[in-house]
Amino acid sequence: MTYLLYPPLILPCPCGWRNHILAPPSSTATTMNPVQRRGLSGSVQPGQDFVGRSRSRSVRCMANPRRVKMVAKQIQRELSDMLLTDKVLQFAVLPEASLGADRYLSSLTTISDVEVSSDLQVVKVYVSVFGDERGKEVAMAGLKSKAKYVRSVLGRRMKLRLTPEIRFIEDESFERGSRVIAILDKIKNEKSLENQNGELSDSSAHDDDNWDDVDPDEGIIYVD
Amino acid sequence: MAKPIPKIGSRKNGRIGSRKHARKIPKGVIHVQASFNNTIVTVTDVRGRVISWSSAGTCGFKGTRRGTPFAAQTAAGNAIRTVANQGMQRAEVMIKGPGLGRDAALRAIRRSGILLNFIRDVTPMPHNGCRSPKKRRV
Repeated sequence: MTYLLYPPLILPCPCGWRNHILAPPSSTATTMNPVQRRGLSGSVQPGQDFVGRSRSRSVRCMANPRRVKMVAKQIQRELSDMLLTDKVLQFAVLPEASLGADRYLSSLTTISDVEVSSDLQVVKVYVSVFGDERGKEVAMAGLKSKAKYVRSVLGRRMKLRLTPEIRFIEDESFERGSRVIAILDKIKNEKSLENQNGELSDSSAHDDDNWDDVDPDEGIIYVD
Repeated sequence: MAKPIPKIGSRKNGRIGSRKHARKIPKGVIHVQASFNNTIVTVTDVRGRVISWSSAGTCGFKGTRRGTPFAAQTAAGNAIRTVANQGMQRAEVMIKGPGLGRDAALRAIRRSGILLNFIRDVTPMPHNGCRSPKKRRV
Protein backbone atom coordinates (compact mmCIF):
# COMPACT_ATOMS: atom_id res chain seq x y z
CA MET A 1 0.00 0.00 0.00
CA THR A 2 2.99 2.29 0.22
CA TYR A 3 3.08 2.63 -3.51
CA LEU A 4 -0.46 3.75 -3.87
CA LEU A 5 -2.09 6.94 -2.70
CA TYR A 6 -5.52 6.15 -3.98
CA PRO A 7 -7.15 2.78 -4.14
CA PRO A 8 -7.37 1.56 -7.70
CA LEU A 9 -10.67 1.38 -9.49
CA ILE A 10 -11.39 -2.14 -10.64
CA LEU A 11 -13.94 -2.14 -13.40
CA PRO A 12 -15.35 -5.17 -15.14
CA CYS A 13 -14.35 -5.28 -18.76
CA PRO A 14 -17.17 -5.42 -21.31
CA CYS A 15 -15.50 -8.43 -22.88
CA GLY A 16 -16.04 -10.32 -19.70
CA TRP A 17 -13.01 -12.12 -18.43
CA ARG A 18 -10.50 -9.38 -17.88
CA ASN A 19 -10.47 -6.76 -15.18
CA HIS A 20 -9.28 -3.35 -16.19
CA ILE A 21 -7.52 -1.36 -13.57
CA LEU A 22 -7.86 2.31 -14.24
CA ALA A 23 -5.60 4.95 -12.85
CA PRO A 24 -7.27 7.30 -10.38
CA PRO A 25 -9.57 9.93 -11.89
CA SER A 26 -6.96 12.65 -11.58
CA SER A 27 -5.04 11.32 -14.56
CA THR A 28 -5.72 12.94 -17.88
CA ALA A 29 -5.73 10.40 -20.66
CA THR A 30 -8.21 7.62 -21.17
CA THR A 31 -7.10 4.06 -21.63
CA MET A 32 -7.29 2.64 -25.06
CA ASN A 33 -4.92 -0.26 -24.60
CA PRO A 34 -6.04 -2.12 -21.53
CA VAL A 35 -3.40 -3.36 -19.20
CA GLN A 36 -3.23 -7.11 -19.43
CA ARG A 37 -2.76 -9.07 -16.25
CA ARG A 38 -2.34 -12.75 -16.01
CA GLY A 39 -4.17 -14.86 -13.48
CA LEU A 40 -6.50 -12.22 -12.14
CA SER A 41 -9.93 -13.38 -11.23
CA GLY A 42 -11.17 -11.14 -8.48
CA SER A 43 -9.43 -8.38 -6.63
CA VAL A 44 -5.76 -7.59 -6.80
CA GLN A 45 -3.35 -8.30 -3.94
CA PRO A 46 -2.13 -4.98 -2.66
CA GLY A 47 1.60 -4.46 -2.99
CA GLN A 48 1.87 -7.26 -5.52
CA ASP A 49 2.37 -6.40 -9.17
CA PHE A 50 2.08 -2.70 -8.50
CA VAL A 51 5.76 -1.96 -8.72
CA GLY A 52 5.43 -1.51 -12.43
CA ARG A 53 2.06 0.23 -12.26
CA SER A 54 3.04 3.03 -9.90
CA ARG A 55 5.39 4.41 -12.52
CA SER A 56 2.72 4.54 -15.20
CA ARG A 57 0.06 6.27 -13.15
CA SER A 58 -1.19 8.31 -16.07
CA VAL A 59 -1.80 5.96 -18.94
CA ARG A 60 -1.07 7.33 -22.36
CA CYS A 61 -2.59 5.95 -25.47
CA MET A 62 -0.92 6.30 -28.81
CA ALA A 63 -2.96 5.59 -31.88
CA ASN A 64 -1.50 3.99 -34.96
CA PRO A 65 0.40 6.65 -36.97
CA ARG A 66 -1.46 5.67 -40.10
CA ARG A 67 -4.72 6.24 -38.35
CA VAL A 68 -3.51 9.62 -37.16
CA LYS A 69 -2.80 10.57 -40.76
CA MET A 70 -6.18 9.36 -41.90
CA VAL A 71 -7.95 11.30 -39.19
CA ALA A 72 -5.97 14.41 -40.08
CA LYS A 73 -6.96 14.11 -43.72
CA GLN A 74 -10.58 13.55 -42.81
CA ILE A 75 -10.61 16.55 -40.50
CA GLN A 76 -9.12 18.65 -43.27
CA ARG A 77 -11.87 17.58 -45.64
CA GLU A 78 -14.59 18.23 -43.13
CA LEU A 79 -13.28 21.65 -42.16
CA SER A 80 -12.86 22.75 -45.75
CA ASP A 81 -16.34 21.58 -46.48
CA MET A 82 -17.61 23.50 -43.48
CA LEU A 83 -15.93 26.64 -44.69
CA LEU A 84 -17.78 26.29 -47.95
CA THR A 85 -21.21 25.30 -46.77
CA ASP A 86 -21.68 26.33 -43.17
CA LYS A 87 -23.26 29.73 -42.91
CA VAL A 88 -22.17 30.46 -39.35
CA LEU A 89 -18.53 29.87 -40.12
CA GLN A 90 -18.69 31.90 -43.29
CA PHE A 91 -20.15 34.86 -41.45
CA ALA A 92 -17.42 34.58 -38.85
CA VAL A 93 -14.67 34.59 -41.43
CA LEU A 94 -16.20 37.13 -43.78
CA PRO A 95 -18.58 39.45 -41.96
CA GLU A 96 -19.87 41.11 -45.10
CA ALA A 97 -21.33 37.82 -46.23
CA SER A 98 -24.20 38.43 -43.85
CA LEU A 99 -25.12 41.52 -45.80
CA GLY A 100 -25.41 39.51 -48.96
CA ALA A 101 -22.02 40.12 -50.56
CA ASP A 102 -21.04 36.53 -50.29
CA ARG A 103 -20.19 35.91 -53.91
CA TYR A 104 -17.78 38.80 -54.31
CA LEU A 105 -15.09 38.14 -51.79
CA SER A 106 -12.59 40.45 -50.23
CA SER A 107 -10.58 37.65 -48.72
CA LEU A 108 -10.30 33.93 -49.23
CA THR A 109 -9.67 31.51 -46.39
CA THR A 110 -8.14 28.13 -47.01
CA ILE A 111 -7.15 25.38 -44.66
CA SER A 112 -3.66 24.49 -45.70
CA ASP A 113 -2.70 21.88 -43.17
CA VAL A 114 -4.00 19.92 -40.23
CA GLU A 115 -1.77 18.38 -37.60
CA VAL A 116 -3.17 15.92 -35.12
CA SER A 117 -1.37 14.90 -31.96
CA SER A 118 -0.61 11.22 -31.67
CA ASP A 119 -3.31 10.62 -29.09
CA LEU A 120 -5.91 12.35 -31.28
CA GLN A 121 -6.76 14.93 -28.65
CA VAL A 122 -5.33 18.15 -30.03
CA VAL A 123 -5.70 19.36 -33.57
CA LYS A 124 -3.73 22.27 -34.96
CA VAL A 125 -5.33 23.74 -38.05
CA TYR A 126 -3.14 25.95 -40.21
CA VAL A 127 -5.22 28.53 -42.01
CA SER A 128 -4.01 30.70 -44.84
CA VAL A 129 -5.89 33.84 -45.73
CA PHE A 130 -5.58 35.60 -49.05
CA GLY A 131 -6.29 39.28 -48.84
CA ASP A 132 -5.15 42.43 -47.17
CA GLU A 133 -4.10 42.86 -43.54
CA ARG A 134 -7.49 43.75 -42.24
CA GLY A 135 -9.10 40.80 -43.96
CA LYS A 136 -6.53 38.49 -42.40
CA GLU A 137 -7.13 39.79 -38.91
CA VAL A 138 -10.85 39.62 -39.27
CA ALA A 139 -10.72 36.08 -40.60
CA MET A 140 -8.39 34.76 -37.91
CA ALA A 141 -10.30 36.47 -35.12
CA GLY A 142 -13.55 35.11 -36.46
CA LEU A 143 -12.21 31.57 -36.66
CA LYS A 144 -10.71 31.63 -33.19
CA SER A 145 -13.94 32.87 -31.72
CA LYS A 146 -15.81 29.98 -33.31
CA ALA A 147 -13.43 27.25 -32.17
CA LYS A 148 -15.94 25.67 -29.80
CA TYR A 149 -18.69 25.74 -32.35
CA VAL A 150 -16.39 24.10 -34.90
CA ARG A 151 -15.52 21.43 -32.38
CA SER A 152 -19.15 20.61 -31.77
CA VAL A 153 -19.99 20.44 -35.46
CA LEU A 154 -16.98 18.26 -36.12
CA GLY A 155 -18.08 15.92 -33.37
CA ARG A 156 -21.45 15.59 -35.02
CA ARG A 157 -19.99 14.95 -38.43
CA MET A 158 -17.20 12.55 -37.56
CA LYS A 159 -17.41 9.43 -35.49
CA LEU A 160 -14.57 9.81 -33.04
CA ARG A 161 -14.52 8.60 -29.49
CA LEU A 162 -13.35 11.95 -28.22
CA THR A 163 -13.62 15.05 -30.35
CA PRO A 164 -10.26 16.79 -30.25
CA GLU A 165 -9.62 20.33 -29.18
CA ILE A 166 -9.16 22.56 -32.19
CA ARG A 167 -6.64 25.36 -32.43
CA PHE A 168 -6.43 27.68 -35.40
CA ILE A 169 -3.00 28.93 -36.34
CA GLU A 170 -2.18 31.38 -39.05
CA ASP A 171 -0.11 29.88 -41.82
CA GLU A 172 2.32 32.30 -43.35
CA SER A 173 4.26 29.90 -45.51
CA PHE A 174 2.18 30.69 -48.59
CA GLU A 175 2.86 34.37 -48.18
CA ARG A 176 6.55 33.89 -47.70
CA GLY A 177 6.84 31.49 -50.60
CA SER A 178 4.95 33.84 -52.85
CA ARG A 179 7.17 36.73 -51.88
CA VAL A 180 10.33 34.73 -52.50
CA ILE A 181 9.14 33.61 -55.90
CA ALA A 182 8.17 37.16 -56.80
CA ILE A 183 11.65 38.36 -55.92
CA LEU A 184 13.22 35.57 -57.92
CA ASP A 185 11.04 36.38 -60.90
CA LYS A 186 12.02 40.01 -60.68
CA ILE A 187 15.69 39.11 -60.63
CA LYS A 188 15.23 36.79 -63.55
CA ASN A 189 13.48 39.48 -65.56
CA GLU A 190 16.16 41.99 -64.82
CA LYS A 191 18.81 39.51 -65.82
CA SER A 192 17.11 38.70 -69.09
CA LEU A 193 16.78 42.40 -69.84
CA GLU A 194 20.48 42.87 -69.24
CA ASN A 195 21.30 39.96 -71.48
CA GLN A 196 19.18 41.37 -74.24
CA ASN A 197 20.71 44.81 -73.95
CA GLY A 198 24.33 43.82 -73.81
CA GLU A 199 24.90 40.70 -75.93
CA LEU A 200 28.56 39.99 -76.50
CA SER A 201 30.09 37.07 -78.35
CA ASP A 202 32.95 36.96 -75.83
CA SER A 203 30.67 35.83 -73.08
CA SER A 204 29.38 32.91 -75.14
CA ALA A 205 32.91 31.73 -75.96
CA HIS A 206 33.80 31.96 -72.29
CA ASP A 207 30.86 29.79 -71.48
CA ASP A 208 31.95 27.16 -74.01
CA ASP A 209 35.30 26.81 -72.25
CA ASN A 210 33.60 26.25 -68.95
CA TRP A 211 31.44 23.44 -70.29
CA ASP A 212 34.43 21.08 -70.61
CA ASP A 213 35.75 21.75 -67.17
CA VAL A 214 32.56 21.63 -65.23
CA ASP A 215 31.47 18.21 -64.11
CA PRO A 216 27.69 18.07 -64.67
CA ASP A 217 27.19 16.28 -61.39
CA GLU A 218 28.65 18.86 -59.12
CA GLY A 219 28.35 22.55 -58.84
CA ILE A 220 25.34 24.83 -59.15
CA ILE A 221 23.50 24.92 -62.43
CA TYR A 222 22.12 28.31 -63.36
CA VAL A 223 19.01 28.20 -65.49
CA ASP A 224 18.60 31.09 -67.84
CA MET B 1 -0.57 4.66 -68.45
CA ALA B 2 1.67 4.38 -71.48
CA LYS B 3 0.80 7.91 -72.62
CA PRO B 4 3.84 10.18 -72.40
CA ILE B 5 3.67 13.52 -70.71
CA PRO B 6 2.58 15.97 -73.43
CA LYS B 7 5.09 18.65 -74.31
CA ILE B 8 3.98 22.21 -74.72
CA GLY B 9 4.55 22.08 -78.45
CA SER B 10 2.15 19.19 -78.97
CA ARG B 11 -0.56 20.99 -77.03
CA LYS B 12 -0.35 23.97 -79.31
CA ASN B 13 -0.67 21.74 -82.36
CA GLY B 14 -3.81 20.14 -81.00
CA ARG B 15 -5.67 23.40 -80.53
CA ILE B 16 -6.16 24.35 -84.13
CA GLY B 17 -9.50 25.94 -83.33
CA SER B 18 -7.91 28.74 -81.39
CA ARG B 19 -5.81 29.79 -84.37
CA LYS B 20 -8.88 31.05 -86.16
CA HIS B 21 -9.53 33.79 -83.65
CA ALA B 22 -6.22 35.06 -82.35
CA ARG B 23 -8.08 37.91 -80.81
CA LYS B 24 -6.83 40.41 -78.33
CA ILE B 25 -8.85 40.30 -75.18
CA PRO B 26 -8.05 42.84 -72.52
CA LYS B 27 -10.43 41.37 -70.00
CA GLY B 28 -11.14 37.77 -69.19
CA VAL B 29 -12.30 35.33 -66.60
CA ILE B 30 -10.12 32.75 -64.93
CA HIS B 31 -11.85 29.71 -63.54
CA VAL B 32 -10.01 27.70 -60.92
CA GLN B 33 -11.46 24.38 -59.96
CA ALA B 34 -9.60 23.19 -56.90
CA SER B 35 -10.44 19.72 -55.72
CA PHE B 36 -8.49 17.80 -53.14
CA ASN B 37 -6.60 15.77 -55.72
CA ASN B 38 -6.13 18.18 -58.60
CA THR B 39 -6.44 21.78 -59.74
CA ILE B 40 -7.72 22.85 -63.14
CA VAL B 41 -7.24 26.41 -64.32
CA THR B 42 -9.26 27.59 -67.33
CA VAL B 43 -9.00 30.99 -68.92
CA THR B 44 -12.07 32.15 -70.80
CA ASP B 45 -13.38 35.41 -72.11
CA VAL B 46 -16.18 37.30 -70.46
CA ARG B 47 -18.84 35.33 -72.25
CA GLY B 48 -17.36 32.01 -71.20
CA ARG B 49 -15.65 30.77 -74.35
CA VAL B 50 -12.49 28.95 -73.37
CA ILE B 51 -9.20 30.41 -74.47
CA SER B 52 -6.76 28.12 -72.78
CA TRP B 53 -6.58 25.77 -69.88
CA SER B 54 -4.05 23.97 -67.82
CA SER B 55 -4.13 21.63 -64.90
CA ALA B 56 -1.76 20.12 -62.41
CA GLY B 57 -1.92 16.83 -64.27
CA THR B 58 -0.97 18.32 -67.62
CA CYS B 59 1.94 20.13 -66.02
CA GLY B 60 3.61 16.82 -65.46
CA PHE B 61 2.60 16.03 -61.91
CA LYS B 62 1.18 12.63 -61.24
CA GLY B 63 -0.73 11.06 -58.42
CA THR B 64 -0.76 12.69 -55.02
CA ARG B 65 1.50 15.53 -56.11
CA ARG B 66 -1.26 16.97 -58.27
CA GLY B 67 -3.13 18.09 -55.20
CA THR B 68 -0.30 20.12 -53.74
CA PRO B 69 -0.30 23.92 -53.80
CA PHE B 70 2.92 23.99 -55.80
CA ALA B 71 1.24 22.07 -58.59
CA ALA B 72 -1.65 24.52 -58.54
CA GLN B 73 0.82 27.35 -58.79
CA THR B 74 2.55 25.91 -61.85
CA ALA B 75 -0.78 25.15 -63.48
CA ALA B 76 -1.94 28.72 -63.01
CA GLY B 77 1.35 30.06 -64.30
CA ASN B 78 1.10 27.86 -67.36
CA ALA B 79 -2.43 28.88 -68.16
CA ILE B 80 -1.66 32.54 -67.84
CA ARG B 81 1.50 32.49 -69.86
CA THR B 82 -0.36 31.69 -73.05
CA VAL B 83 -2.85 34.40 -72.36
CA ALA B 84 -0.55 37.16 -71.19
CA ASN B 85 0.96 37.19 -74.65
CA GLN B 86 -2.45 38.00 -75.99
CA GLY B 87 -2.49 41.05 -73.85
CA MET B 88 -4.91 40.33 -71.05
CA GLN B 89 -4.64 42.90 -68.32
CA ARG B 90 -7.65 42.46 -66.12
CA ALA B 91 -9.32 39.31 -65.02
CA GLU B 92 -12.01 38.08 -62.75
CA VAL B 93 -11.35 34.89 -60.84
CA MET B 94 -13.98 32.28 -60.13
CA ILE B 95 -13.03 29.68 -57.59
CA LYS B 96 -14.77 26.37 -57.28
CA GLY B 97 -14.27 23.69 -54.71
CA PRO B 98 -12.26 23.11 -51.55
CA GLY B 99 -8.64 22.26 -51.86
CA LEU B 100 -5.22 23.78 -51.58
CA GLY B 101 -5.27 25.06 -55.13
CA ARG B 102 -7.50 27.97 -54.24
CA ASP B 103 -4.94 29.97 -52.40
CA ALA B 104 -1.89 28.95 -54.40
CA ALA B 105 -3.44 29.61 -57.79
CA LEU B 106 -4.71 33.00 -56.66
CA ARG B 107 -1.28 34.00 -55.48
CA ALA B 108 0.28 32.83 -58.73
CA ILE B 109 -2.24 34.84 -60.72
CA ARG B 110 -1.55 37.93 -58.73
CA ARG B 111 2.18 37.46 -59.08
CA SER B 112 1.98 37.26 -62.83
CA GLY B 113 0.93 40.87 -63.08
CA ILE B 114 -2.66 40.48 -64.14
CA LEU B 115 -5.04 42.81 -62.35
CA LEU B 116 -7.69 41.03 -60.36
CA ASN B 117 -11.05 42.68 -60.61
CA PHE B 118 -13.13 40.40 -58.48
CA ILE B 119 -12.72 37.13 -56.69
CA ARG B 120 -15.84 35.04 -56.70
CA ASP B 121 -16.59 31.72 -55.15
CA VAL B 122 -18.83 29.66 -57.39
CA THR B 123 -18.81 26.35 -55.59
CA PRO B 124 -21.99 24.55 -56.62
CA MET B 125 -24.37 24.55 -53.70
CA PRO B 126 -27.52 22.47 -53.92
CA HIS B 127 -30.67 23.86 -52.39
CA ASN B 128 -30.99 20.37 -50.85
CA GLY B 129 -31.11 18.42 -54.09
CA CYS B 130 -29.33 15.17 -54.81
CA ARG B 131 -28.35 12.82 -52.03
CA SER B 132 -24.69 13.23 -51.17
CA PRO B 133 -22.35 10.22 -51.07
CA LYS B 134 -22.13 8.32 -47.81
CA LYS B 135 -19.87 9.46 -45.00
CA ARG B 136 -16.33 8.20 -45.04
CA ARG B 137 -15.47 6.21 -41.97
CA VAL B 138 -12.08 6.66 -40.42
